[in-house]
Parts: sequence; C-alpha cells; structure tokens
Amino acid sequence: MTLFGTIGFTAPWLLAALAALPLLWLLLRAVPPAPIRRRFPGVALLLGLADAEQVSDRTPWWLMLLRMLAVAAVIVGLAGPVLNPEEDAAEAGRGPLLILSDGSWGAAGDWSAKEDALEAVLAEAGRAGRTVALARLTTPGAPVFQAADAWRGRLADLAPQPWTPDGEDVEAFLAELGDGEFDTLWLSDGLARESRARLLDALEARGRVRVMQSDAAVLALEPPVFEDGAIALTARRSAGGAPREITIAAHGRDPAGAPRVLARATADFAAGGTTAETALSLPAELRARLTWFEIEGVRGAGAVALPDDSLRRREVALIAGREDREGLELLSPLYYLENALEPTAELLDGALTDILPANPDAIVLADVATLAPAAQESLTEWIEGGGLLLRFAGPRLAASDVSREEEATLMPVRLRAGGRTVGGAMSWGEPKALAPFGEESPFHGLDVPDDVTVTAQVMAQPDPGLSERVIAQLTDGTPLVTRKALGQGQVVLFHVTANAEWSSLPLSGLFVQMLERLAVSSAVAQPEPGDLEGTVWQPQQLLDGFGRLADAGTRPGVPGPELVSAPLGPDLRPGLYAGEDRALARNVVQADTELAPAVWPERIAVEGLDRPQETPLGGAFLLAALALLLADVIASLALSGRLRGGPAGAAAAALLAALVLAPAPGAAQEDADADAFALAATKEVALAHVVTGDPEVDRMARAGLRGLSETLFFRTSVEPAEPFSVDLETDELAFFPLLYWPVTPEQPTPSAEAYTKLNEYLRSGGMILFDTRDADVAGFGASSPNGRKLQSLARPLDIPPLEPVPEDHVLTRTFYLLQDFPGRHARRDVWVEAAPADAERIEGMPFRDLNDNVTPVVIGGNDWAAAWAVNEQGDPLYPVGSGYGGERQRELAYRFGVNLVMHVLTGNYKSDQVHVPALLDRLGQ
Amino acid sequence: MSDALALRARAEAEAGALPPLLARADQLAGTVLLGSHGRRRAGMGDDFWQYRPMVAGDTARMVDWRRSARSDERFVREREWQVAQSVLMWVDQAASMRFASSPDLPEKADRARLLALAVAVLLVRGGERVGLTGGELPPRRGEVQLMRLAEAFSREAIEDYGAPEARAMLPQSSAVFLSDFLGDPAPVEAALGKAADRGVRGVMLQVLDPAEEAFPFRGRTIFESVGRSLAHETLKADDLRARYLERLAERKAHLAALCEATGWRYQCHHTDQSAQSALLWLWQGMDGGPE
Repeated sequence: MTLFGTIGFTAPWLLAALAALPLLWLLLRAVPPAPIRRRFPGVALLLGLADAEQVSDRTPWWLMLLRMLAVAAVIVGLAGPVLNPEEDAAEAGRGPLLILSDGSWGAAGDWSAKEDALEAVLAEAGRAGRTVALARLTTPGAPVFQAADAWRGRLADLAPQPWTPDGEDVEAFLAELGDGEFDTLWLSDGLARESRARLLDALEARGRVRVMQSDAAVLALEPPVFEDGAIALTARRSAGGAPREITIAAHGRDPAGAPRVLARATADFAAGGTTAETALSLPAELRARLTWFEIEGVRGAGAVALPDDSLRRREVALIAGREDREGLELLSPLYYLENALEPTAELLDGALTDILPANPDAIVLADVATLAPAAQESLTEWIEGGGLLLRFAGPRLAASDVSREEEATLMPVRLRAGGRTVGGAMSWGEPKALAPFGEESPFHGLDVPDDVTVTAQVMAQPDPGLSERVIAQLTDGTPLVTRKALGQGQVVLFHVTANAEWSSLPLSGLFVQMLERLAVSSAVAQPEPGDLEGTVWQPQQLLDGFGRLADAGTRPGVPGPELVSAPLGPDLRPGLYAGEDRALARNVVQADTELAPAVWPERIAVEGLDRPQETPLGGAFLLAALALLLADVIASLALSGRLRGGPAGAAAAALLAALVLAPAPGAAQEDADADAFALAATKEVALAHVVTGDPEVDRMARAGLRGLSETLFFRTSVEPAEPFSVDLETDELAFFPLLYWPVTPEQPTPSAEAYTKLNEYLRSGGMILFDTRDADVAGFGASSPNGRKLQSLARPLDIPPLEPVPEDHVLTRTFYLLQDFPGRHARRDVWVEAAPADAERIEGMPFRDLNDNVTPVVIGGNDWAAAWAVNEQGDPLYPVGSGYGGERQRELAYRFGVNLVMHVLTGNYKSDQVHVPALLDRLGQ
Repeated sequence: MSDALALRARAEAEAGALPPLLARADQLAGTVLLGSHGRRRAGMGDDFWQYRPMVAGDTARMVDWRRSARSDERFVREREWQVAQSVLMWVDQAASMRFASSPDLPEKADRARLLALAVAVLLVRGGERVGLTGGELPPRRGEVQLMRLAEAFSREAIEDYGAPEARAMLPQSSAVFLSDFLGDPAPVEAALGKAADRGVRGVMLQVLDPAEEAFPFRGRTIFESVGRSLAHETLKADDLRARYLERLAERKAHLAALCEATGWRYQCHHTDQSAQSALLWLWQGMDGGPE
C-alpha cells in the first residue's frame, strides 16, 4: 500500500493511466457530435444557406472537462483509495503482558470490537516475542504467562459474565498475583467500582498499566414494575450525554408458542440525563406470555430484564343474574365489584361456558340462582381443579329453592326460605353490624368499620357443620360469609348482595380488603428476605453475560433469603427461579444498582476502541464518475439540440437528478389530506352517502342528499353543510350521523378493514340507510338483484334483528307525523331494528318504551335519493308520480328524510315526549 | 378473388376515413351561422320574399290569387333571388403537408382538408356548387358532392411539394387554395395569373406548422423534406434561424403581393391555432365581405 497523507492506494500503479488523459482530450476534441436527422418541410427555404462558422463542430471545453473528470474519477476509483489505512502501531513494551478483563456484563456491549482489539494486541505481542497471561476479575485465578499465540484461540476466557467483580473477587485475585514484573492491559467495562483503586496500585507496582475501555455509556434496564395498568420500564445509563432514544422490546411467545417480539416501546434519555422511562400497556393475555425485556441493539445481561409473577394479575370473571340495559348503573349487581377489582385484577365478561376454557383465577356469581346442568358440571370440575367461586346472594337466590332441602354442590350451606329483613320500614329492629372476625377466619385482623350495616340477608340453615364454614358473621351471630372446600378449590358465599341494596358493605373499604384476603384480587409485591425463610428456589432459566437466556440444567436450588439479598456471583446467577406457587426473577440490575462511569487517574493511558476507521473511497469515486457521466449525457443532449423544449427538458433533468439523489416524501401528504377531510366533515353537520362506483347513482345520491340538506335547512334547526361522498375504504366514517347507501348490483364488496370500520360506526351510534331503489325489499326471499346484493353486503355487518317499522315507532313522529315513507316508489315496507321482546305500550297509548339506541340501520327500497334530488338551482331532478299526487309524494319523501335525520340526532327524545302531559300535570299546571 | 378482397378492404379503410372527416367538417361548419349568404332581394329562387301590388307588365300568371282574394288589389308573390355560385377548391395533398412537429398537433394536410371540407359543407348548405380545380371533380351541389370531395381530399400525392392545378377554371367562379406554399412559387404565380385572367377570385390560406414558424432547432442537423427528395446539412442549426425566418417572411410577403395584384385574399394559418377562426376567415373571404 502506498500512502499519500491519510489516503493510501491499494493499486497505485493504476494511477499511471492518468498520464493518458491529455491524449484523450485531443481525441475527444477532434470528434464533433453526430448529426440528427430531422424531417422538416421548410428545408426548401434552407437550400443554399451556408454555415457561418466552422468552429462549432468542436466539443465545448467545459464538456471536455466534465468527461476528463469522469475518466479521472474512474481511474482513481479503480486504484483503490483508502482513507486512514491501518498503520502498524509500533508502540510496544518489553517483558510479559497481563491482559486483565473486568469480565462483567458491562463489557458485553462491544465485545466483538474488544476481541478484535485483543487479537491485534496478541498478534503484536507475538511479533515482539512477549509472553502473555489472560485473567478475568469475575472468575479470579492465578495468571499464567504463555506464548501469545497459545492464547489466540482462548479469548473467550475473558468473555463477560452476568455479574460484576466485587471486593472479594479483587482480594482473591491479588492473593494469586505473585511478585513478577509485567505490563498490564486492563480491559475495563467502564463502570466505577471501589475496588479499582487498590487493584490499580498493585498492578502499577509491577509494571506499566494501560486501560482499554469503550467510550459508549453502559446501558441497563431495571426490572419491570406493574403500575397503573401498564408496565413501567426504566432504563439507565452510566454517563449522561447527548439525548438518545432507545427501543425496549418485550419478548414473549406467540399463541403458537414460538418466541417473538410482542411489543416495543421507546424511551428517551434527555441531554445529560441518566434515566429514561416508558410504559408499555399490554392486554393481560400478552402480559402473561412475556418472557423478557431488552434494550434493542444493546448486548449484555444488564440490558435484559426478566419479569416474574409481579406482572401477572388475577383474572376474575364476573357473572350477574340479571343484566338489563335499561337498569340504572348504580343498581347493577356488578357495579361495586367491578370498581373494587378493576385496579388489581383483569375482569372477564361473557357467558359462563365461554369463560371457563379461559381458566380464570376466580369466578364471581352475583345473585345467580340456578345454572344449566352442563354449566354447573363444568363449573364444579373447574372448582375441584383449584378454582375459587365467589357467590353473592340477592332477590333471585332468596326466591329460589337452591340449596333448600339439601346442600347444593356449589353452595357452602343450606339456605332457609325467604331470607330476612331487619331495620326496614316493615320490620322490627335495627340494621345489624358486623362482628369482629375470628382467628380462623381469613379476614382475621381486618378492622370492622362501625357504619357497615346489613338490612337484608339470606339465612343459613343451622346444620351441624355450619360453624366451621362461617368466616364472617353479624353481631347477632348469623353468618354473613360462609365457605367450603370443594376438591382443591373453594366456594364462598356472601349472604348479602354485591350492590348496596341489602347492606352497606360494598360501599366500605372493608369490602375491597375482604376480596383481597380471599385472593380474588392480587397484590403481588417483591418479597422480603424474611418472607422466604426456609424456602428453596430452583433455577429455571439463567442469563449469561451477553443477556442470552438459557436453560438452567441441573444447577442446585438457592435458599429463599439468599435469592433476594445475596450479591450475584458464580453460585447465584441472574435468571428465573421457581418456588412452590410462584416464580421469582433475579435481575442483573436492580433499582438500587449504582451505574457510574469509571474514573482513572491522569497518569493512566486510556484507549478507546474506535481508532480511525479504514474507509475505502473507491466506491465514492466510481459513483462520482457515474454522476459526471450522467451530467455529460444531459449536457450532450442539450448541446446537440436533442433535449428540446426548454422548461420541460430542464424539468426532466431536474427530475432525473432528484431521482438519483433523494427519494421523495409521500406519507406526510396523506396525513394532511386526512386532516383536511376531518376538518371539513366536522365543521358542520353533514350528510354522507357511500360511493358505489356507479357515477349515475353516486350523482343521484349526492343530489338527493343536497335536496334533503336544503329541506332540513329551511324547515328545521338542523343546518347541514354540503353532503359528502364517502369512500368506505379510505375515509373516516365517524364524522357522519347518517350514511345513505344506495345498493347497486355491480358495486364492489368492501374490504375486511372497511367492514371493521362500518361495524365500529354502527356500534358508536351511526345509522346507515340502505336503499335498494327497486321497491322490492320486503318480499320474502327478496329476489331482485339489488336485494341479493344488499344481503351479501350486509352479511358481515353487525345488524340486530329487524322488523317493519311499527306504527308507533319513534321514526313516525320525530318531526312530522308520518305513516308512510315513500320515495320515488311508495312501497310501505321499511325495516328498522326490532323492539325488545318485553317492550310495552305505555298507558294504552301507542307509544312504547323502545330501546334507547337509535336504530342502526333503516332498510328500504323506495329510492329516496331520487325523490330528494335537486340540481344546483334547487329544482327537482327526477319526476315522482304524476301531477299533484306526485308532488305530494315528493313532499312526504322529504318529510321522511327530515324525520330520519331528526331520529338520528335526537334518539328517542320524541318518544319520551309522551310523558310531558303527565309531568306538567304533576308540576301542578 | 384475392384482388377483389384486397380492393374491398382498402376501399373500406378509405371509406372509413370519410365519415369522421365529414362529421368533423360538419361540426366545424355548424359553428358558422348561415344567413349572410342570401341576396336579400327579389329574384329567382325558392323562398318567399314579399308580396307586391301588381304593376303593368306583370302577367296574369304571376298573380298570387290566394293573397289577392283577401283584398281588392291583386298581388304578385316575389321570391328571393338565389343564384348558385361555383366554388373550386385546391387542397395541397403533397408530402410536405403531412408534417406535424409534435404529436399534439394535427398534420398540416389534416387541418387543410378539414377546413376545405367545412367550407364545402357551408357552401353546399347555402346551395352553392362546389368542386375541385383541374376538371377532376366539376362543381356540383348536394350532399353526395360532399362525399366525393371528402374522398378526393383523402388521396395523398407522392410528390414533395404540391403545385396548384389551374386548368378548367370556370369563368367568374370563386376559388379556395389551401397549401403551405413552401415549394416553388412559380406554379402558384402561374395559377393565380390564369385565374385572374378568367375573372376568378378567391382566397389563399397558407397552413403552417408552428415549428416552421419558429425554427426551434439547434446543433448539428440534417434537414430532410418529408418525401426525402431534398436535404440540407448544417453544423449549427440555431445559426440558420434568423436567415430562415427572413426567407419565410419573404415568401409570405411575395404571396400576399401576388394576391393583392390578382384580387385574391391571403391569410396564414398555424396548426396550433383554432380551426374555427380560420374557417370564419375563409367564409368571410369567400362571401365577398369587406375587401
């Protein structure tokens, strides 16, 4: 290699070709550009015109220069220029060399770079004929000096271990050190330790000491903590510095059991800051499958944190006897339970048979009297397998015959008929308070507040075994909570309701504490050493120094207190340990682990790992040559007149340059469009129709909605903006109260994402007006093409049961009183969501207490848009009927539209208006 | 049989070009309102002009009895004077006309045919007789003549530059010449002289491509005529521009002077301009508008 300053050439003799450049200059200069043949009728006028000068057939000098530069760049590029070529470091010492590694996890980050550096040091020592010894502080041993070559394959002996050397390790090493003279190369991990100074003194007494350590700060991840429904992750670094963003990956197993990254979160180190925090919100199912967290792109056991049971929360299924939508929230049997359990447990909702396969930790039955035989059987099986069934009494249980004659499997006691009521308006006595908890009770030690009173309860039959099963009772000795074991699980019955109807217990803090004691809810904190006295924990999976998790194999168990408090070392490696009923993780970095950069005295030479890197420049030169040749092509074209049309040509050249130089941004534009759409759609109320792809139908739908909007504007306080045409695939639907969807047989079926969006829209209170436009929707087996298309379109939609609009439907009276809903056709049948089976007519009037929700769909075939459609001037576009009757029909169509929009916007408000006379009457008017 | 089949196929292809050309010409002609053509005085014709009282010299056959029965006087029904004019056309079909400098522009020949046929449509609608110079297609009236004209216009000549055919010019008729007039000016001079001798007046529209007007060429170039009979090489085309434009202006001035001398009217039209303005000019020039 030949050197010119900091640039060297791998093939310098190629540079001789530069001498040929002047020759090329002459050659190129002599050859004029090739002519273009053009057809041109005006040539007749050109005949006889001679060229004024003969000079212009030479290539201009700047183009020549461009070509010369390109050729020169090719030659130089091929000669293999290299920036900062590796020089031979000639700074060698004499005598034996000790290579001492801290061997802690902090050095794992750039271990391969360190290995390379060590290879170089070993090679150099070999050339100088020095003997070398390798030692690692984390596994102290006597240094053995051998020929350097003997060590070359054994650099792995210095590999990082997942713990840090402490004072004892250093003492052990010093004891083995001997008195010989040697130089030292100390491979430091960059972390401050108290023992360093003493070791340094001892080494300096024996020879020169050099230190090699990475400039990068050491990153570490603290154990994850579950806080406020999210996993709080804290990363730290040993030294502050420039702001830095790190990504923390949560590894786990996917449902198939294959390891993969389940989630990622980013955390930011502020400038100069040493901690970065982030939170990861994961659903319970994912959380249960987590195996470890790591800072992405950082090697080392410190950048890995293992979660244990502290991230798991108990899963509790809540099942109530009556779930009625019309009921008031505070009377819901589950309201207090949900509030009590929400902070500490995962709540499952659903049918019992669906929940059991999910194997929750506890199931709560609130006022459920009987279960289907199959459900009861599987529930019993689940309890016997270790489940906890928590039951609450209530009116249904009190009224049923469950556990009356003989004890039911799923009840802890037999019950007396009817229960009792104390302290009510129709009974003697005062409400009863709770008695203090007995010593055998799991609630022992909880304070009983005075204000907890019970006014009603179900009574237990005084059986012989009753007293064993009572775990809480009232002051008069009647059982309040009873329990029995069933297989490995247990059944617990609260003799009061789970809401505040029968007692004030659910209102008190005691309720929450009782649930905690019953282990329905879980609060798993890091155990104290004392808690684990006498237990032995088996290692399951252990970390190595690089942060890789491996099976523990046959390593011996660790006593509990030691696991929590002892420092990490060869005998206590970080990893996952399993106890009787839970797992504990021992992490490399704890919340109190100190991370500070190592400080070395001035006299010690500290080398970084990154010497000036060798940078081959050949590629850059060849790229430059390519760019120059490209410029030459454009310039030559322009010069010979082939690049005609000034601006267009320049634009093409600019475009070419842009393509070569940088990719164009595109995503930002989309965001801006979406924002603009959202702003336009939400500034005012706007109606919208679905784009069908048939331009005629789309135009009609838009014109129809315009007509309806104008009618609304003139007649009502609803003042809609210009209607929108909505593309289901791309546009957000949530902004529109009403979507008009004309059905054509040819329209494409929306994609799965679009259906997800539509269902979301329907669930959140939107309404779709389906119009088959053929007046033939209600016939049984709807056989028109539009009807069939409607069926296929609506199949994936979340549509409730339907019925033809009943005569007392709120749609018939939201603004106008209507009985028919004609459009361009006047068929009667229009379908809306069916009323609940138990809806009743009120006070004999044709009003029903209909469901609160607006009907999510209205389906008909009367081609309303055509009847509504107006042009820009407000004139109707399509004929309806004939003569006066037709105009009347159009008017009714408008009225239907007005009613529909009113219905969407006001819900069942007009339905409630039936009560106004009664209300006024009560107010004394 | 194969000959007959090939002929048939060619005929179909040729005929296929006619209706669109006719349709376009019709459409273009539709933009011009007829109305300035009638002679606006009584004479021979089909259309009613006016009733006038009978004067001495009118024969009894001329009395319109239906009108006269409504009053005591006798009236004569006069018709508007309508004379049919003969218009002869020459549209340059030479190769030089089949040139368009950009794919967005129509060929010169295309524009010239369109204009000529549109004028013919207007003339035929106005009841005039239209034909071609040179006796190939004598002037006739009626829609069929339009078909014949369209067919004649679709024939392409092989020579590079066209020369006007001045034979068989009907005395006192009108003529329309459409060409780029880039070839030898001598035949044009001869034709115009002959026409002037017979009292034929007309219009001459020079159809040019914008490239021929701007000469936007640079660098070393070999210019060829469309038929490749002429070629000229230059090393620096942009150097020639000024001299070329000078020659073009000279040619235009020459043509204008020629027309001036013979009582014709001259106009230059570019294919990137709208055909409609050219048609209006042609129509007014034909109709003997203000000189």
